[in-house]
Amino acid sequence: MTTPATTLEKQAYKIGTARIGLWLFFLSDSFVFAALLVSRFYLLGDKRPHLEQGLGLIVTSVLLISSFFMNRAEVQISQGNRKGFVTSTLITMLLGIGFLVGVVGFEWGLAPFGPADGVEGAMFYMMTGMHAFHVLTGVVFLFIILRNGIKGRYSPEKHWAVEAAANYWHFVDLVWIFFYPALYLIGRV
Amino acid sequence: MDKKKPVSEIRRGVIVFLALAVLTAVEYVIGTNEAPTIFLWVIAILKGALVLVYFMHITRLSGSEGGH
Repeated sequence: MTTPATTLEKQAYKIGTARIGLWLFFLSDSFVFAALLVSRFYLLGDKRPHLEQGLGLIVTSVLLISSFFMNRAEVQISQGNRKGFVTSTLITMLLGIGFLVGVVGFEWGLAPFGPADGVEGAMFYMMTGMHAFHVLTGVVFLFIILRNGIKGRYSPEKHWAVEAAANYWHFVDLVWIFFYPALYLIGRV
Repeated sequence: MDKKKPVSEIRRGVIVFLALAVLTAVEYVIGTNEAPTIFLWVIAILKGALVLVYFMHITRLSGSEGGH
């Protein structure tokens, strides 16, 4: 016979297993980003690409603010505030799109080199491109939870997908925390 | 009592965000003034730790917290 207690236990076990799977994915993905980071210092050393400092700070701030709203969205759904969750998730998505526009739309256009113009260009476009691809997939993930949230599929007791999407978004932010100084601040132009 | 927890979680989010914003500003000033690189690494690690602990809730991995 299935009692409510055993159902809860099963649910907790399922979430615990899914959580480990998600973090293992983060671990494996972080090796890709770590390899790019190491390559940047191995190939460019103390030289950094000539980039727009102001734009770099703006896109970094945009991503940081998006992480704040993502955290807020997760807290809001855990307290049953569906409207707040939808608003915060929408803001996070828009900021994510803003980040993409800033990096791919502006920074790529303003950079004085192309992807095939030597090591500098190769590293810059590979690092920002791989990161932007993750931001894009994060935006898709956010769109899915936003749609499900509007349909009322999440509750304070059941919102694992929101936790997963939020963690993925914060992971993308975490990567940029290391990429930003590596590309914009460390070394000489 | 139950209502107090989510409010404090939102407040904690604000505090962490402010800390990250201040660290980013300091990082920018250090980076654009060609100060020793070690400071930039220390700031990046601090920021990363804040995100891991307070936004990604890495501690949930070892406990039964948030079994939803």
